[in-house]
Amino acid sequence: MTAKPANRPLSPEQLGHFAAELDALRARTAATLGQRDADYIRAIVAAVRYTGLAGRTLLFVGAIGGAFLPLLLWPACIAGTLLLALSKILENMELGHNVMHGQYDWMRDPHLDGKTYEWDIAGTGDNWRKTHNYQHHTWTNVRGMDDDVGYGLLRLFPEQRWKPFYLLQPAIAVIFAILFEWGVAIQDLRLGRWFAGKVNNATMREQFRPVGRKMAHQVVKDYVLFPLLAGPFFLPVLLGNIVANVLRNLWTYTIIFCGHFTADAETFAKASVAGESRGQWYLRQLRGSSNLAGGRLLNLLSGNLSHQIEHHFYPDLPANRYAAMAVEVREICSRYGQHYNTGSLPRQFGQVIWRILRHAFPSRPAEPLSAAASVASPLTGAQSSSA
Amino acid sequence: MTAPARLKASRARRPLQRLVQTLVGPAAFDFWASKLHPAWSWSRPLAKIVARHSESRDSVTLLLQPNRHWQGFRAGQHLNISAEIDGIRVTRSYSLSDTPRPDGRIAITVKAIEGGKLSRYLCTTARVGDVLDLGPAFGEMALPATPGGSLLFLAAGSGITPLMALIRNLAGQGMPVSLTLLYWARSREEVCFADELRRLAAQHRGFQVRFVLTRANAVADDECQGRIGAEQLSALVPDAVQRQVYACGPGGFVDTVRTLLAAQVPQFQAEAFTPPPRLIEESGTVQVTLAASGQTLSVPRGQSLLTALEAAGLQPASGCRMGICNTCACGKRSGTTRNLHTDVVQHEPVSALRLCVSSAASDLVLDL
Repeated sequence: MTAKPANRPLSPEQLGHFAAELDALRARTAATLGQRDADYIRAIVAAVRYTGLAGRTLLFVGAIGGAFLPLLLWPACIAGTLLLALSKILENMELGHNVMHGQYDWMRDPHLDGKTYEWDIAGTGDNWRKTHNYQHHTWTNVRGMDDDVGYGLLRLFPEQRWKPFYLLQPAIAVIFAILFEWGVAIQDLRLGRWFAGKVNNATMREQFRPVGRKMAHQVVKDYVLFPLLAGPFFLPVLLGNIVANVLRNLWTYTIIFCGHFTADAETFAKASVAGESRGQWYLRQLRGSSNLAGGRLLNLLSGNLSHQIEHHFYPDLPANRYAAMAVEVREICSRYGQHYNTGSLPRQFGQVIWRILRHAFPSRPAEPLSAAASVASPLTGAQSSSA
Repeated sequence: MTAPARLKASRARRPLQRLVQTLVGPAAFDFWASKLHPAWSWSRPLAKIVARHSESRDSVTLLLQPNRHWQGFRAGQHLNISAEIDGIRVTRSYSLSDTPRPDGRIAITVKAIEGGKLSRYLCTTARVGDVLDLGPAFGEMALPATPGGSLLFLAAGSGITPLMALIRNLAGQGMPVSLTLLYWARSREEVCFADELRRLAAQHRGFQVRFVLTRANAVADDECQGRIGAEQLSALVPDAVQRQVYACGPGGFVDTVRTLLAAQVPQFQAEAFTPPPRLIEESGTVQVTLAASGQTLSVPRGQSLLTALEAAGLQPASGCRMGICNTCACGKRSGTTRNLHTDVVQHEPVSALRLCVSSAASDLVLDL
């Protein structure tokens, strides 16, 4: 893999200026939020609704019409499945994820309210708000605090202790990708603690109740009610819904893993975040995140997580602003000599796959590049990792 | 529909409702319903503007057709109205100026206030066919179930609106009381409902109206001049202290009326409206009312609300404590806050106030 890019060490004073410039960019952007952003998110809502309706309609056309006119079956079902998957991807990424961050709370539209929005996925919005909005975004890539570092299932960084179990991870990673929404659904239950007997059954039952309710809702909706609407021709509808959900799972998994598990992404020790300044926080977000260089279609389909760095700097600002902010963020980072981790989707995801394969086997963190860099690192105690 | 029949119908609807709710959900239902009719919604009270007419130089009456989620009101109450202006939903309270009507329509009379976001929008931009969000009706001002005796209504400016609803209600009952209305306005052009009030006064012997102008000369017989005061009041209504008094207007006006009459009259009801404070103090303490738990506490200005509430022994939900995770966000119903990061001052009610990076700049009401 490529050598680790060198980041210029910053003095506390320089870090203060770095943070102030990033804060100023936030303030400049926040001051101009208005109709254009409202129109944007409403256009996304409309796109989700229309693609969803078109997808489900085509599935019915394929299922019912295909029974009488076999020529219809495959084309209509394939187009319907793809449109339904597109609808779910847009809903989960550009709409749900961003709305649940509170990015559009300033509009005060009850349907776009960050605290109550419920998305079209097996996991509950409430669990996501806790594991993602709070734990992941506050403690990004801090080992032992950010559950998203391997999701308690994968070993992606050499600092994670190796166990023979991880030899299975190339296969587990694929299963996890296919079932990603179910992984997200149970993430906050922390079943490992229950298996280990650290959580009693009554507590687990209590915590599972809302999770189970949401899972049942999704299953009944996608795998019972909508297929039943096609009557005896339910099978293509059922299969179409399953495939659409799996396609969405694979895509979201790919995008999310590219956000923090590329070769240059770093993880941090718990001790490094004690007494962290705002500048240090920004720096940790920068070093733990990676962008995807693509274009407007990739921005849209990734829910603007193609701007993972900007998203981690400003998780509560509307994602439709990230592309414009990225120009300035990148310029600020380069002036302060900080590596801005970006690359094409194949390149970044290739690095993720490499991590999954490499760290299935025992590995050790690389020695710090140079003593000077490590001593002057503002993230005292941070152990950077490289593949 | 009779009550049992309605209950039966709603029971029959319930499985269908559950089916629709599972298949599409309220947000998607609202999206598609609004394509069919702009004011249809799964559960939100919305209303379409069906007519608008100018009520005075700077006031407009909007006639609204609410959807089925509107729960109705009593004459004298007000409601919250929301409209989206530049992408942001702005909410203000307005009095319902008409009595409940058989066709279910409701009327609000809005005076364009200088610098007022929603009032200017409703007076100038809002068009017939536009849809507004409604809150439930609220307010204690009401007539007794069987009105009688003599009443005195004191209105200043747009304080006429809830009193107009009460006057129309009384007129609808054939004016079973002896009623005098004193209505202060700056000039004749700012008086609302003048023709209707004069017509009602001519129709009903028990109803008298006097328009009191503060910045114009009185010309008509039913006009007079001057700001409210003890002398003026006793000259215009010699038996004021024997009357049941209803007053509505700006805070200063209502305070004056209260001082002059509240202790002496058999019954006193008042509603005051006050524009949000524009002067922000930096030190001292404010009262924070927690609406859901019914507590009121005193917290220092300038301190993070999260820290202040925790210092008072509360444990509101919280996360990052730096304004990014939104865990501590809660609704703010009224009051002014300052963002500790940006120094931006927010007077508006908001749905998600981040307690960890906001400080109180005035008394607040929070949804906690």
